[in-house]
Amino acid sequence: METLDGTDWDVLIVGTGLQQSLLALALSRSGKKILHIDKNDYYGGAEAALSLQDAEVWASKIAECSSTSIFTNASISQYSQEESGSDVPKLSFSRAYSLALAPQLIYARSSLLPLLVSSKVYRQLEFLAVGSWWVYSPASGFDGLPSSPASADDISQSRGRLIKVPSGREDIFVDQSLDMKSKRALMKFLRFIAEYEEQSEVWESHRQTPFPSFLSEQFRVPAHFHGALMSLALSSSTSNHTTTEFALARIARHLRSIGMFGPGFGSVIPRWGGLSEIAQVGCRAGAVGGATYVLGKGLDGLQSLGAPQLVDGMTATNTPDGVAVRLKDGEAVTARWIAGSTDDLQPIASQESSGDGRTEQTATVPVICRSISVVASPLETLFPALAEGAPAPAGAVVVFASGSLSLSSDAESGAELPPVHVFVHSSDTGECPAGQSVLYTNVALGGEEGFALLDRAVQSLLHAVDIQPVPAVLWSLRYQQNYGSAPQFPQTCASPKTPSVKDPRVLEFGTASSDLAFDDSMLEEVKSVWQKIMGDEGGDFMVFEDREGTNADADDE
Amino acid sequence: MADPGAASAPKPSSSVKLVLLGEAAVGKSSLVMRFVNNDFQENKEPTIGAAFLTQKCNLPTRTIKFEIWDTAGQERFASLAPMYYRNAQAALVVYDITKASSLIKAQHWVAELQRQASPGIVIALVGNKFDLASTTAPSDATSNGDDADATEEQDEEGAETDARKVPTKTAKAYADEEGLLFFETSAKTGMNVTEVFTAIANAIPETSLKGSRGVGGQTSLGRQEDSARVNLTSGRDAAGPNGGCAC
Ligand SMILES: Nc1nc2c(ncn2[C@@H]2O[C@H](COP(=O)(O)OP(=O)(O)OP(=O)(O)O)[C@@H](O)[C@H]2O)c(=O)[nH]1
Ligand SMILES: [Mg+2]
Repeated sequence: METLDGTDWDVLIVGTGLQQSLLALALSRSGKKILHIDKNDYYGGAEAALSLQDAEVWASKIAECSSTSIFTNASISQYSQEESGSDVPKLSFSRAYSLALAPQLIYARSSLLPLLVSSKVYRQLEFLAVGSWWVYSPASGFDGLPSSPASADDISQSRGRLIKVPSGREDIFVDQSLDMKSKRALMKFLRFIAEYEEQSEVWESHRQTPFPSFLSEQFRVPAHFHGALMSLALSSSTSNHTTTEFALARIARHLRSIGMFGPGFGSVIPRWGGLSEIAQVGCRAGAVGGATYVLGKGLDGLQSLGAPQLVDGMTATNTPDGVAVRLKDGEAVTARWIAGSTDDLQPIASQESSGDGRTEQTATVPVICRSISVVASPLETLFPALAEGAPAPAGAVVVFASGSLSLSSDAESGAELPPVHVFVHSSDTGECPAGQSVLYTNVALGGEEGFALLDRAVQSLLHAVDIQPVPAVLWSLRYQQNYGSAPQFPQTCASPKTPSVKDPRVLEFGTASSDLAFDDSMLEEVKSVWQKIMGDEGGDFMVFEDREGTNADADDE
Repeated sequence: MADPGAASAPKPSSSVKLVLLGEAAVGKSSLVMRFVNNDFQENKEPTIGAAFLTQKCNLPTRTIKFEIWDTAGQERFASLAPMYYRNAQAALVVYDITKASSLIKAQHWVAELQRQASPGIVIALVGNKFDLASTTAPSDATSNGDDADATEEQDEEGAETDARKVPTKTAKAYADEEGLLFFETSAKTGMNVTEVFTAIANAIPETSLKGSRGVGGQTSLGRQEDSARVNLTSGRDAAGPNGGCAC
């Protein structure tokens, strides 16, 4: 294989996560000489999609701390399938799965979608509808679940229900569980939120009020309906920490997105493994534009100042307009610009902050526990048809509001547990074989407590779907994702340098978003990095013509 | 909206992602150009990175729209192909019948596809430049500089006027063993080019064109692929997806 040693580039992009890949797409017609590398031997970084085997490798790398620092505590469980009947789908082979590490949904109003269209890469992507939203309602009475560790039996005896969130006014009208007074209150709220920006007098003074209080006090929305409205906000905080300002903006986005691409749904997911597919498409565009791609090669550090090297005839360590860096196998390359995520740029983060940062800030860093479960059932009851002429939904959202699940420990501490969000993906997503489905769970709670809550959510969901026998989990992966600059590190792992890259030619993307829905601010970052690189010559951001040979009309059937 | 029962209703149409792999200069881009534009260039420049093209293939009962990824054989760091064969339903692995080493490379690609690509992927092994192997000596020298290599190889018996270095039966035996489709083609004359793509289109299992492609062998849920697909360019809202960028 050829060496990169001594090569010189306009732009070095480090990592193939979504932002870096979108940058590669944005630069794909710029004529710049681009080297795009990734320390992993797969594409997608923190947004990758993995086969079962990939997931094994990924989890064991995290256990050795040799992989990316933003993930910790990864482990895989495979469940014995002895007891399941012969007609129950079995775990298929590894590559029949493509499991997304970052399963975000994309609202129809996200500015990502018009960019995929204007850059023409949407032709290589398939988007599927996220259909119904469901809220878990614990068995009547109190929460009902015994406070001892969850066993399947306990859960089945105190089975909760999943209640479909009305997707519009028509649904509310026909909803049998609501009396006229509640219906009127809800209608009033929906009318308000349609144009809430113009009615500041109603909510301005309540910006910081917990949203449930706002609903009760301003609109008399009955308490048992708060969960449904909260679920549309996709807030990872407890109800009492979800502010009115935050919830209104999110619910408005949800409602305004419905119908944009078809009746009955307002958000989409890419087929074949979520955002990883968009990252791949960005890299492909980069390659078509002539960028050089090298997997399995990360940054190793800045090229030492004491040992100037001749690069393309120039002394390169500190060339006037290039940064000299060392790649994993010691190759020295220079680039006028280097762009990457905080995580990928760590090896060249400024030296003075390389001290022991282990004890810094650990308490305040946001942490999320996630799990991915392969379920031996299509869970078809969660995917009811949306509306006449609507696409078949491939995703569903199940929300366990804060307080609807409990753990033994929290009874003592009295602390309110954050909500658990579950994205249910059907096999239409290409993430699992037909007859199965994938549950992606997410809770803003770290450590064993977070994982225990996720397990409980999965079991409660499977018991509540009304399918007999209760669908089995065939395989699951769980992991913790650490957001912010100083992740919580197990003592055994080396602590990262606080990345405070000072060189203006090193362009850093912030930490990945922990949001459940795609966060448009990450596009702003990509755009500003692109702008720095292109100066005044950039033209319109991601607006391209179809390349020759791409039969443009072929798509418009 | 067309009534599916109407006589003029279009045949069901599905897209198939296809990737071309093979050593540099074996004629991958030339095969695509012949298939897409029915054209040939004597001195085609090497592909840089990759190229993306589309072409429809009409079968009696359905239309297949090929989304073709033509990769660079000169790929320096062996890192490009994975982003193309991921989720590909078909692969065309090309070698040059006048260059023995190109079949070895093709076999490596087949092995990598079998290891890494979608489990149900349809693979066709294609020996290109058949025109150079005719019983009549090739009149025009190839311009790709392979001739030097070619003459260094052990000539096969009685093949002095024939540039062929890979006997058909060697390649065919290998293809049979691995369950690959097999063709010898000439991008130059057009021989067998459409046939390769049609054979691939026919070999794609109907089920994998529906709800759950890439999971070969599984029963389909019977949903048409298009019934789940969201069309991003059909937004209701004029200021929506086709409108300007919001950032
Ligand atoms: N005689 C003959 N020459 C061919 C044929 N197909 C391609 N060539 C020639 O072979 C050379 C290489 O063809 P390309 O199509 O560029 O090969 P490629 O596989 O795309 O090469 P890379 O892009 O570098 O991987 C060109 O000069 C073509 O004209 C063929 O069927 N017969
Ligand atoms: Mg080519």
